[in-house]
Amino acid sequence: MTITRRTLGLGTAALAGAAALPGALQAQAPLNVGFILIGPVGDFGWSTMHDVGRRRMLEVLGNRVTATQVESVAPPDFDRVANQLARTGSRLIFTTSFSYFQPTMRVAPTLPNVMFENATGTSTLPNLSIYNARFYEGRYVQGVIAARKSRSKTIGYIASFPVPEVIHAINTVMRGAWSVDPQMRIRVVWVSAWFNPAREADAARALIDQGCDVICQHTDSPAPLQLANERGVFGFGQASDMTRFAPRAHLTSSVNNWGDYYAERARAVLEGTWRPGDVWGGLNSGMFRLAPFTNMTPEETAEAERIRDAIAAGTLHPFDGPILRQDGTEVIPAGQRLTDDQIRAQNYFYRGIDVAMP
Amino acid sequence: MRLVLEQRGETGLALRMASPLLAVALALASAAVMFAALGADPLVALHAYFLLPLSDSWGLQEVAVKATPLVLISVGLAFCYRAGVWNIGAEGQFLVGALAGAWLAIATHGAAQGPWLLPAMLAAGALGGSAFALIPALLRTRFGASEILTSLMLVYVAELLLDWLVRGPWRDPAGFNMPQTVTFSPAATLPLLAEGGRLNLGTPIALLVVIVAAFVATRTLKGFEIRLLGEAPRAARFAGVDAKRLTWGVFALSGALAGLAGILEVSGTLRQLQPGLSPGYGFTAIIVAFLGRLNPVGCLVAGILLAVTFIGGENAQIMLRLPLDATRVIQGLLLFYVLACDTLLLYRVRLLRSVPA
Amino acid sequence: MTLIEAILLTVITASTPLLIAAIGELIAERAGVLNLGVEGMMIMGAAAGIAAAITTGSSAAGVAAAILAGMALAAIFGLLVLGLATNQVAAGLALAIFGLGLSGVLGAPFVGVPRAGIGKIEVPFLSDIPFLGPLLFRQDPFVYASFALVAGVAWFLGRTRAGLVLRACGENAAAAHALGYKVLRIRFLALLFGGACAGLAGAYLSLVLTPFWTSGMTSGRGWIALAIVVFASWMSWRAVAGAYLFGGVTILQLHAQGAGVPIPPQAMAALPYLVTILALVLIMQARGGGSTAPAGLGTPFVPDR
Repeated sequence: MTITRRTLGLGTAALAGAAALPGALQAQAPLNVGFILIGPVGDFGWSTMHDVGRRRMLEVLGNRVTATQVESVAPPDFDRVANQLARTGSRLIFTTSFSYFQPTMRVAPTLPNVMFENATGTSTLPNLSIYNARFYEGRYVQGVIAARKSRSKTIGYIASFPVPEVIHAINTVMRGAWSVDPQMRIRVVWVSAWFNPAREADAARALIDQGCDVICQHTDSPAPLQLANERGVFGFGQASDMTRFAPRAHLTSSVNNWGDYYAERARAVLEGTWRPGDVWGGLNSGMFRLAPFTNMTPEETAEAERIRDAIAAGTLHPFDGPILRQDGTEVIPAGQRLTDDQIRAQNYFYRGIDVAMP
Repeated sequence: MRLVLEQRGETGLALRMASPLLAVALALASAAVMFAALGADPLVALHAYFLLPLSDSWGLQEVAVKATPLVLISVGLAFCYRAGVWNIGAEGQFLVGALAGAWLAIATHGAAQGPWLLPAMLAAGALGGSAFALIPALLRTRFGASEILTSLMLVYVAELLLDWLVRGPWRDPAGFNMPQTVTFSPAATLPLLAEGGRLNLGTPIALLVVIVAAFVATRTLKGFEIRLLGEAPRAARFAGVDAKRLTWGVFALSGALAGLAGILEVSGTLRQLQPGLSPGYGFTAIIVAFLGRLNPVGCLVAGILLAVTFIGGENAQIMLRLPLDATRVIQGLLLFYVLACDTLLLYRVRLLRSVPA
Repeated sequence: MTLIEAILLTVITASTPLLIAAIGELIAERAGVLNLGVEGMMIMGAAAGIAAAITTGSSAAGVAAAILAGMALAAIFGLLVLGLATNQVAAGLALAIFGLGLSGVLGAPFVGVPRAGIGKIEVPFLSDIPFLGPLLFRQDPFVYASFALVAGVAWFLGRTRAGLVLRACGENAAAAHALGYKVLRIRFLALLFGGACAGLAGAYLSLVLTPFWTSGMTSGRGWIALAIVVFASWMSWRAVAGAYLFGGVTILQLHAQGAGVPIPPQAMAALPYLVTILALVLIMQARGGGSTAPAGLGTPFVPDR
C-alpha cells in the first residue's frame, strides 16, 4: 500500500513541478498551500474572493508555491479533507470559514508539521493562526454615504444571519449615518442565507417598497444591487467590485483582498519565520478596500475619501464612546473605545436603531 | 429503430456481478474522457477517484465514517419505500435526531456525566427523529395530506430550527456569539475504535442495524406485510394488514434510524451543533436506498459506493485540481450507469428495426 | 403605486419560476413519470440561458438555449426511465446532481458577467385597468408565458383527446397500451415538456429576476416546484394557487421583517413551508382525504409486445 501512495505522491509532485517550473533545478521544493472553502468557487462572494486570493498568492510567489483547493466542504467532512491535504503535501492550510474553527482546533494538534490559518476564528494554537478583516470600517463609510444620498432618511439592510459580524456591521452603518444626520433610520430584513440571489432581490424589493432608498447588503450576490439599479435607488456591493452590475446605483463596494496576506504567510513558511498570529486587518492593512466611489458628487466623494482615510490612519474610530444599547444601558462612556473583544461580542443594537434584535 | 426490453427468466450470479462492474467501467471511461478534456491525466485521476480512498487503513476508516449515516438512513427509507410510503424528509429527521441527542449533551455539560450519557443520547436521537417523522405520518393517515410534500417541507423547518437553536438558546456562552453550541465533553463523544483514523462506534452500530433489518425484512411477518402493502395494497387490506398502523410504523422506524444517524454523526465527528452539519445525507440516502434495491444489505453496498465517490471527489480536487462540479458530473454519470446496468439484470435489451407495437 | 400593488407585483415575479417549473412537472407526472430532477434541469436552464444570451447577445437565443438544455436533461432521464425502465426516484435524484455539476462546469466562464435583464412588456389598453392592469399586464414575457402555460395545460388535459390519452398513460399504462397508444412515446414527450418548462423557469432566474450566473443559483426552487405539484393535486389551476401561496408568504414575511415585526427571522423563513403544509391539510380535510395522484405515477412500464 505504501508503494502505491509513494508512487502516486511522486506522480503528483511531478505534475505540480511540471506546471510550476520548466527547468529541472530548484533550490527548494515548492510549498503546497491548501485551501478549504465553505461554498462553491463560483458563488461570486466569500468563496470566490478566497479563490481570487489564492490566485494572487500564486502570482506573487510564482514557482515557489503550488496551491490545492477543495470547495463546498461541509463541517463534518473537514477532518478528512484537512488530513488528505496534509497527506498529499500541504504544509500550510487556510480554512476559510468560521464553521471550520472548532474542527481546525481539533485537527491542528494532530498535524503538528502543518501550519493552519483559520479565517474569522477566535483563538490560536502553536500551529494555528487566525485572520479576519475589519469590514466594519467600510460599513462606517457606507453609513456616511448613505446618509448623504438618502432622501427618505431610511437605509435598507439585507442581512444574512444574526452573527456578531452582521450585528456590529449594522451598528457601524448607523453610527456612520448618524454622524451626518441623527434622524437616519434603518430597516432590516434577514434572508437566512449568505447566498440566495432571488431571495436577496425579493428582500431588496420589499425594503424599497417600504421606502428605503439606499440598500446595504450583507449577502454575497449582486442581485440586490442590480435591483436597486432597476428601481432607481442606491446600493453598495459586497465582496468584489460590483460597479458593472449597477452603473446607476452603485456607490462603492467592500472588496475582499486576501491575496497579499496569503502570499505573506506562505512566504513566512518558506523562510521558516511563520509564527501563530491573530490578525484583524483594517482598511490600512489592504485585506479589503473600498471600490472607487461612483454616482456621487465631488463633495460627497471628497467627504467619503476623507472619512475612509481617517479610519485607515486611525484618527477616526467607529467605536468611540459613548455607546448605549437599545434599551438605554451604557456600554462605554464618552472618552472610551470598545476593545476588540467588545467589538466582536456585540449582540445588541445601539440606541436609535428601532429594529428588534432577533 | 427502437429499444425493446425483454424480461429475463432468471438472472445468473455472473450477471449479478457483471452489472455493477460494467457500470463502474462505463463511468470510468466517461470520467477518463472528461478528465482528459479538463487537462488531467486520466489514469492518475481514476486512481485518486476510485482507488485511493480504499488504499490504506486511514482511507478505509474514512469511507466507513462517510458511509455510516448513508447506510443507516437508507435502511430505514428502504422499509418506507417498500411499503409505498414516500418519506423524502430523512434530512430533517437526521437533523432533529441530532438536536434531540445533542440536547442531553448540552444540558449536562459541565455537570455530572457518566457512562449512561452516550446511550441516552443515542436513544434521544432515535426518538427525536422518530417523533419528527411521525408528523408527516399523522398528516397522511389523519388528513390524507401527501407525505411527499409534508416530509420535504419539514426538512426546511428542521434546518431553520437548528439554525435558531444554535444562534439563540443553545449558543455556546463562551463562543463569541458565534452560531455553535459547546464542544461535547469526552463522555458525550463516541469512542474511536482504531488508531490513526476516525472510525467510531457508529459504524458497528450501522452494521448491526443492517443485519437486524435484513432479518426483519426477509424473515418476519412484519417484513412480509410491508412488502405486501407496497406491492398490492388491496390484497394487503384483505389479508388484514392495518395500513395506517404500518404507515406509522415505517415512518417511525425510518425517522428513528435517520435520527440515530444524526446523533452518531454529531457525537462521533462534529462534537458540537452548528448550522450546515449535514452535507445532505438525508437526500443522498434516498439514492442509496434505491441503488441498494430497497434491501438492507444492498443499502450497505450502495452506501459504501457513494461514500467512495464523495471521498474520491475530494481527492480529485486535491490531487488533480479538478473542480467539485466536475466530480458531481461524474457522480451523476456513475449513478446513471449503475441504474442502467441494473436493467440488464432484469431485461434483455434489443435494438429492433421499427416494428409496430 | 400603492404598497399593496408593489407587494403583489413582487409576489408574481417570485412565484413565476415556481409556477412554470411546476406546470411542466405536472404534465410529466400526469403521464405517469415522476422526475425528481427538476432542480437539475432548472439550473441547467439558468446556466445555458445566460451563457447563450451573453455569447450571442440575444435574450431570445438565451431562452431557446435554456429550453433546449432542460429538454436535453429530460431526454437523458427519459432514456433511462423509459428506455431502460430504471427506477425513477433514483434516476431523478441523480439527474439533480448531474445538472448541478454540469451547470457549474459549463457556467464557470460566465460567473459574475453582468447583463441587462429582459424588460417588461405593456399590453396596450389592458394595462390601464386600475389595480389589475399594472399587476397583470405590465409584466415581463415570462409572466405572460406562465399564464398561457397554465391555461394551455388546463385546456389540454381537460378538453382534448390527446390530454385524455396522456392521463390514461398515467393512470393505467397497460390499458392505454392495450388500446393501442404508444405509452412510452407519450411519456417521453411529456418528460420533454417538463424539461422545457424547467429550463424556461431557470432562464427566468438568470435572465430576468437576477440577471447573472453563479453556481447553485436556483437555491432549491426545483424542489419547491415538485412540492407544488403535489399541493395542486396534479391540477393546473391549483398549481397557480400553490405557487402564489408559497411565493406570497415568502414575500410577506420579508415585508413583515422590514416593518419590524419582532419574530425570529428563522421562524419567518419557515413560514412558507408551514403555511403550505397547513393549507394542504385544510384542503384535504375539506375534501375528506383520499389520494389524487395518478395511479401509475412512478411505476415503470415495459410493454410486452
